[in-house]
Amino acid sequence: MSPEYEAVIGLETHIQLNTQTKIFCPCKADSWNDPPNTNICPVCTGMPGVLPVLNKAAVEKAMLLAAAMNAEIQPISYFDRKNYFYPDLPKGYQISQYNMPIARGGYLVFPMPDGSERKVTIQKLHLEEDAGKTKHDFGRRLIDFNRCGVPLVEMVTGPDLHSADEAAQYIIRLRQLLRWIGISEADMEKGHLRCDANVSIRPKGAEVLNPKTEIKNLNSIVAIREAIQTEIQRQIREVEAGNPIEAWTLEWDEDRSILRKMRSKETEADYRYFREPDLLSLQIDEAWKAAVLSTLPELPLQRRARFVKEYGLPIYDADILTSERSLSEYYEATLQAYQGDPKRVSNWIINDVLRIINELGVSAAELKITPPYLAQIIRMVDESVINISTGKALLDKVQNCGKEPAAIVSEEGLAKMNDADMLETLIQQLLVENPVQVESYRKGKSGLLGWFVGQVMKQTQGKADAQLTRSILEKYLNQK
Amino acid sequence: MSELTKLNLQGVIQGLRRGEFSCRELIQAYFERIQSLDFTINAYLYTDEEGALRKAEMVDRTLAEWRRSPQGELPPLLGVPLAVKDVLCVKGMPCTCGSKILEGFVPPYNATSVQKLLEAGAIVLGKTNTDEFAMGSSTENSAYGVTRNPWNLNRVPGGSSGGSAAAVAARLAPVALGTDTGGSVRQPASFCGVSGIKPTYGRVSRYGLVAYGSSLDVVGVLGRNMEDLALVFELMAGVDPRDATTVDLPVPHIHLDRSTDLSAIRVGVPKEYFIPGMQPQVEAAIRQAILHLQELGATVLEVSLPHTEYALPVYYLIAPAEASANLARYDGIRYGPRLGGEAMWEIFFRTRGEKFGPEVKRRIMLGTYALSAGYYDAYYGKAQKVRTLIKQDFERAFQIVDVIAAPIAPTTAFAIGEHTDDPLAMYLEDVFTLPANLAGVPGVAFPVGFDQQGLPIGMQLMGNYFQEELLFRIAHAYQLTTDWHLRTPQ
Repeated sequence: MSPEYEAVIGLETHIQLNTQTKIFCPCKADSWNDPPNTNICPVCTGMPGVLPVLNKAAVEKAMLLAAAMNAEIQPISYFDRKNYFYPDLPKGYQISQYNMPIARGGYLVFPMPDGSERKVTIQKLHLEEDAGKTKHDFGRRLIDFNRCGVPLVEMVTGPDLHSADEAAQYIIRLRQLLRWIGISEADMEKGHLRCDANVSIRPKGAEVLNPKTEIKNLNSIVAIREAIQTEIQRQIREVEAGNPIEAWTLEWDEDRSILRKMRSKETEADYRYFREPDLLSLQIDEAWKAAVLSTLPELPLQRRARFVKEYGLPIYDADILTSERSLSEYYEATLQAYQGDPKRVSNWIINDVLRIINELGVSAAELKITPPYLAQIIRMVDESVINISTGKALLDKVQNCGKEPAAIVSEEGLAKMNDADMLETLIQQLLVENPVQVESYRKGKSGLLGWFVGQVMKQTQGKADAQLTRSILEKYLNQK
Repeated sequence: MSELTKLNLQGVIQGLRRGEFSCRELIQAYFERIQSLDFTINAYLYTDEEGALRKAEMVDRTLAEWRRSPQGELPPLLGVPLAVKDVLCVKGMPCTCGSKILEGFVPPYNATSVQKLLEAGAIVLGKTNTDEFAMGSSTENSAYGVTRNPWNLNRVPGGSSGGSAAAVAARLAPVALGTDTGGSVRQPASFCGVSGIKPTYGRVSRYGLVAYGSSLDVVGVLGRNMEDLALVFELMAGVDPRDATTVDLPVPHIHLDRSTDLSAIRVGVPKEYFIPGMQPQVEAAIRQAILHLQELGATVLEVSLPHTEYALPVYYLIAPAEASANLARYDGIRYGPRLGGEAMWEIFFRTRGEKFGPEVKRRIMLGTYALSAGYYDAYYGKAQKVRTLIKQDFERAFQIVDVIAAPIAPTTAFAIGEHTDDPLAMYLEDVFTLPANLAGVPGVAFPVGFDQQGLPIGMQLMGNYFQEELLFRIAHAYQLTTDWHLRTPQ
């Protein structure tokens, strides 16, 4: 960006809550991979005479999010009707929350990759129902009502972000948080986490808020970063050419990486909000709040900081280990069982366990290598019962069969060959069989030591203690 | 007239159990009467003779078995014929709401109120006429023709539950469900000389009642006397998990005995309900009925409901505002007729433009305007505040009296066409019934006399929240000692 400008960005997110059922009826909430119009009923398709009944689980998930975002949960809030016509909005209004939402205020402090921190305020956080989907196909307009009534939290930030990177980092951290507290799958591709961005620019240091454009359809972190960057550059070009910024609504075309103008925003739509008379006020007393919030775990950024402080881990390690809640819990459980160097456990997880997690596409909690098993493996390596390569191979074995590592070691005879007599016999035999190599070594080709070690390992299926093998080899090879 | 259609509910239930007549005979008697009279009265929009007879035969089998070995309780309404206002969903029967926009719509679900009565053994004869979406006071706003008042075929039956009231008055059903958003049970009951109950808001589930004014709509009953109403009411009342606005209070079993002693009762008479321009015979009949309650021992006190005059403007802001949203779903996309081509807005404009009637459009526009940015505070917001004042009027009055006795309408049934060019005059018909809806309190209506033209005059008793039983008792005492409710049109 040109150094004299600063971007001002606010993000509007729609978060699909991962409740079993929809927000106002008993239909299944998640319709991913289900055929169109299969998870519908008279209530969510707005048949005449039907009434909404609030899903308590949706309220509780919104409460968790509000608490995690440092927002104030309101003892009393209301639902309102937001009126507009669209074919995929079956009632002709959306049940949302307007001036008395479930929570007020809130903020998120999140780290940037360079280690600095940013704080974003939350201007709006409310519950609402989703609309259906309209699709154009075969020259016809087709409507899928499956998504009608899926619970959403709409969350809008203040104009507190100042670069495309900051916006992307906020969404990355939000996505992490949503999954962490278990209220949304937060899969952007599946629309669980949708993002629109409001973008304007101003001279650096200015306080003024200039006319903004709204970018719709930002369905990935990459899209957020690229679209906002593109729009900032466009606005700078316009301003430098002396053109005013008009309040357009833009759409990001992810395939072609271009912004398209959807419409000019000349007039504000009048949604004629009024209280939803079919629902009572939403009352959250202290007891309910306390019960729900007691299930709120330590949040990811807090845990990340604690890992650094308590275990002395590098930020890099702490960041990876807290990328997912189950992984962080796995780490701590392993450490608990291992009772040793935290960094050593971190290395094992980051270097080896994560590979298995990624290959299998499971969560840490689903691994057959349970934290006590992993601790046992590391311990066996530490105590030279097995060598490191056996230890790593053991991870896959445990994951495949689910047996206790120590049992596998004894069943398969994987314990390190650290019987010096046996190794000496084996090595003496080896030297006799390979006089040429012995000769070369003794003439100064000391690199051949590795070749001898390799031969020993080959004959012992890797079980030989490498340290011991090396010292015995050196002893015999250096005898003249 | 077949003797069977003269029976009240107790007569029907006892007769069926004793085997004095079969349920099939009973249902047939009603359909014979419907066939001979309803082409004139037009109380029904839809009848289901075949389905009703099929059910009647099942009832007869159940009764025969029960008579052989009378074990256990029979469903309380077993075999009782029921008419249902066409804004309440009955599974498998068309539900038009008196509108062309719902032509052909057949709900795949029962309204909770209907469901409970079906479970109690009732048999639905058909769906009764109503002003379109219950918006009106005469059934003249029905897209399927006006219902005629059985007392005088040139008069309206009142509305919007005019079809149900006319059906009960003409003995085309012993009992009928209606709905009351601004007087739509009580006013037609009054015009047709029958009894009616508008329960407390939240007492009866609204699930399956096609919404007009959601914060005002209540499902009620029209019938011949208080005993019949009480029996049906207690079976359909109660909390419903499908309606968040129902209240979880026990529903009393209402036992109405022969006692006519009202000496423990304080009856309030609101001075604001006796206005200039009221038909003198209506006022006289109401005063006489209040005197009668006094003769039965009641203490009569004048009370004041000072914000009564604002009920009309408040109602005509709140009800249309809610209606403007409630009726937005009729867009031609999922059910009902669809006009226009492929273009989205053309479908909306043409379907709604051509299929809604003028009164519905008027109220949608009123409501849309009242909710619009810049007008909300002055209209809808202000109306909600005044609604609270009206509610407080009742709360204050019920600290002094047990019930409030008042006229239902300033006049008896007016002539068909008399108010159709003057919506405001039509709105004024509701001036005495609107406050109870705005406050949410219950009310009963019952006949207390006739005017010189032989048209019935009704009175209402309004009670405190959830005090339906008290209203039934007092009105029942009145009916035990008078015979207005026994008179039938020729």
